[in-house]
Order: sequence, then C-alpha cells, then structure tokens
Amino acid sequence: MAPVEIRGLSKRFRGVTAVRDLTFDVRPGRVTGFLGPNGAGKSTTLRALLGLVRPTSGSATFDGRPYDALEHPSAEVGALLEDTAFHPGRTGRDHLRVLALAGRHPDRRVDEVLELVGLEGADRRRVKGYSMGMRQRLAIAAALLGDPKVLVLDEPTNGLDPPGIAWLRGLLRAQAGEGRTVLVSSHLLAEVAQSVDDVVVIAGGELRGHGPLADVLGGGDGPGAVARAKDPARLAEALQRRGHRVHRDGDELHVHGAGAETVGEVAAEERLVLHALAPRSRSLEAAFFALTEADG
Amino acid sequence: MSVLLRAELLKLRTTRTFVALVGASLALSLLVVGLTSAISDEFTEQRVRELFTADFTGLFITLLGVMGMAGEWRHRTITSTVLAAPDRTRLLAAKVIAYAVAGMVLSLVVTVSIMVLGTVILSARDLPTLGGGDLADVLWRNLVVAALFGALGVGVGGLVRNQVVAIVGVLIVGFALEPALLAVVPDVARYLPLIALPTSIQDVDVTFPEAGLLDPLPALGLMLVWVAALFAAGAAALRRRDVV
Repeated sequence: MAPVEIRGLSKRFRGVTAVRDLTFDVRPGRVTGFLGPNGAGKSTTLRALLGLVRPTSGSATFDGRPYDALEHPSAEVGALLEDTAFHPGRTGRDHLRVLALAGRHPDRRVDEVLELVGLEGADRRRVKGYSMGMRQRLAIAAALLGDPKVLVLDEPTNGLDPPGIAWLRGLLRAQAGEGRTVLVSSHLLAEVAQSVDDVVVIAGGELRGHGPLADVLGGGDGPGAVARAKDPARLAEALQRRGHRVHRDGDELHVHGAGAETVGEVAAEERLVLHALAPRSRSLEAAFFALTEADG
Repeated sequence: MSVLLRAELLKLRTTRTFVALVGASLALSLLVVGLTSAISDEFTEQRVRELFTADFTGLFITLLGVMGMAGEWRHRTITSTVLAAPDRTRLLAAKVIAYAVAGMVLSLVVTVSIMVLGTVILSARDLPTLGGGDLADVLWRNLVVAALFGALGVGVGGLVRNQVVAIVGVLIVGFALEPALLAVVPDVARYLPLIALPTSIQDVDVTFPEAGLLDPLPALGLMLVWVAALFAAGAAALRRRDVV
C-alpha cells in the first residue's frame, strides 16, 4: 500500500469536469512533482486527497485511508494549499499556536518550525505586515508543524524569491532523504525539475505521464539523434539490431538510445550513405509541453 | 473536542475583533443606561430590570458568532481550519461552545458594568434600585441569552457562508422583520429567536407587551430548539460544501 494512492479519481463542479479518472501512487523517500499547466486539475486533486473536496467518483487515500479517517491527520500529513490564507490581524506565531493546539502538537514545535522556515524574528508581527514570501514560509511552517510522514504542497514556490526557492528545494530533498513522502505540485517544470525524483503529469484533468522524471519527460532512454539516409530502412534495421529504438517520420529517422556519433559509426560499418545527421535535443520543457498539450 | 474548543478560544483571544466588540458593546450600553437612569424619573423595580437588560450585547454577540464561522470563508482560513479538524461537525460544535462562552464573557462584562453605573445613578437620585437577589436573577438571564446568541450566530455563519450576507440577514431579521411580525402577527412572531424568545427568557416584556410573549422556561426550551436546528443545518451545509 503506497503512502499516497489516487484511484480512478474524478471530480465535476457544476457540470465541468476538473479531474477525470486519475490513478497514480506516490512513493516514500522520493520527491514527486505533480506537474501540469494552470487549470490542469492539480489543486482539485490535492484538495480531494486532503478531504477538502468530495470526489465525484474514485478515491484518494493515505496508506489506504481517506484524510478525514486518519487518527492524527496533521501528524501524518502536512499540507500547504495554493490559497492558504491567514487572519490578517493574527500574528504568525499565534496562527501556528492555534494550529498546534487543534492538531495536538506540543508548543515547542511552534518555535522549531519558525526557526526552520526562518521566521523566528518576525513571528510576533501581524500577518497583514508579512510579504508574500513570508506568508509562504509561514504556510510551510504550518505544514511541518506535526512533523508529518507525508508532505503535500500545492505550488509551494509561489511568492518565494530565488534564495527561498533554493531553500525549499533543500528542505524537500532533506524530507525525502529521511524517508518521508513528498508530493509537490507546480505549473512551472523548471522550478521543480532539479529537486524531484518522480513526476506525475496531468493536463485537462487527465493523467499524461507518471514515473521517474527522466522516463516521463525524456532523457531516460539516453542520447538521441535524427538522421536522414539514402536507404533509411536498412539504417533503421541496423540500429534496431544493435538495441536502439528507431521511429521513422517521413525521410527522417528518430533514434532513441544512440547519439549522433553512434549512428554515424553504425552507418559507416554498414556502408550506408547518410544525407544528414544531428543530435536529437529534446529539453525537459519541450517534452513537458508535448505531454501537456497533446489531445486527451 | 476539548482541544478544538481551546483552539477556537485561542483564535478569539488572538485577534482584536473580540476586544473591539466588547469595547463597542460596553460603550454603547453604558451610554444608554447612563442617560436613561440620569434623565428618566419613572422607575419601578420592573423598569430597572428592563434597564439592565437594555444593552447591545445580543446584537454584537450574534454578529461575533456569525463572523466566527463565516469569517473563516472570508479570510480563507477555512482550509487550514478544516485540515486541522477534518470532522466538520465537531469543528462547528467547538465553535458553538466557544462563541457561547465568548457571549457569556462579553455579557458578564457589560451587564456588571451597567448594573454598577445604573445603581449608582439611581441611588444618587433616590430612585428604586434592585437588591442583590434581583440583580443576580437579571445577570444569569442575560448570560443565558448571550450564550444562546453566540451559538445562534455560529449556526447562521455555518449555514450562510458569505459573511456580509449573513450579517445583513441577521440585521434585517433582528431590526426589521421580527419587530414587524411582532406587531402584525404576534401569534407567530413570539416564537422567533432574535427578539421575542430572548425577551421572554429575560422576563422583560417591555417593547411588545401586547404580543403576549411566552413564559421564560418554554422560551428557553424553544430557543434551544432554534440553536439545535441552526446547528444541524449549518453542520449539514459545512459537511457538504467543497473547500475550494
């Protein structure tokens, strides 16, 4: 049983389908990026997982149990949601004290998380005087209050400056390094690509890819090349015989698992004439766009 | 439940809303009681009882309860509140109790203050005042009504998520609808919770003597039914609602 399991999850809001038949697991000890463009259904999925939104069908569970059936929810799951807000007239410390009390966490945790997110000097100020970045750090502190085994963070980099984003990456890696499960959503691949192990890609409310980052968004099959040859069928056959994947697109052969040098050497060994040969460069970003822009 | 109750009470203590409402309610009540006891000459014991219930706590406490629940949506703190307490019925129950307690605290401060001021002024003018037993009787009735108003407000806030609509609704019912109904159809209006039933519990049938209000005990029972009904409706709405 995975720490986070989404099974056939669908959610409709007044006739509009936000999420359709979504199924994936999130593994422990890894940072999983939950990626998709704005409006893809990420927040709805996370809210369904956290019991804030009632699924139209399917389930979303932690170790097989829905969030509201967990014995000590905020000690098992720490969550930050995109629109997390605070009473403007309450201090950051008091906000955490209220949550600590409601979640049955010791008071010392308030000091610990304030220090962890770097807000210890501003904790007695009212939240209305906080910058966006400080509010986001406070929300992250709230998520960490129960020292949870699972972290669910919806667009946690919002409002953070570059040093803040780098700090968050380190925090997420450290959490996963301790064996915790980290699920972090973002509509900006670049912000999470450096820190995630696995990705779940959704668009239009549907799953578009799921697995290790390199496998889902390219790079997992090693280098690639694009070649044009006088006899493309023979070149393709020669490459496939050597274990490389090839698909033909008109005159071009797209080679997976072999770079331009290898393709050139194979062509020479087989005495095949090449008309063009270039390395195939497919950035993560391009692969992400290709996945998320494809028709459902 | 006890940690949720304590968390709700901590919420109340950590913003200025509660203190501001106590201050406003106290100032307004002292002004009215001070002026009335200084100017009016027609005081009987019953009239003094009425004076010591003529405060503004009911309105303020009801609005405090409304804001305690509907304000969670307004400030979008509902997400972290529900994450900390996923059982929404228990959450609403904790709020009902917390705002009942807050109502009693507010009423205690205001009632004792106006009793002291009114008694000092009336004594100085050689007009009738209430003895200790009667003052205690007025006090506990005020406290009970205040607790019920706090609970009622939370129920309304649970039912009507838009804080402005909920507040305006309470003001319209309390200041226009109920008084109008008491004047036109008292047989129906005497069962309503914002004026008729609290007045019955406080046993000061001054504004609508012709309406034939209920006796205090049945009024208290009926008021509890109103609170329970609003709680049930508010809890059902809260459980059903998506937090988006």
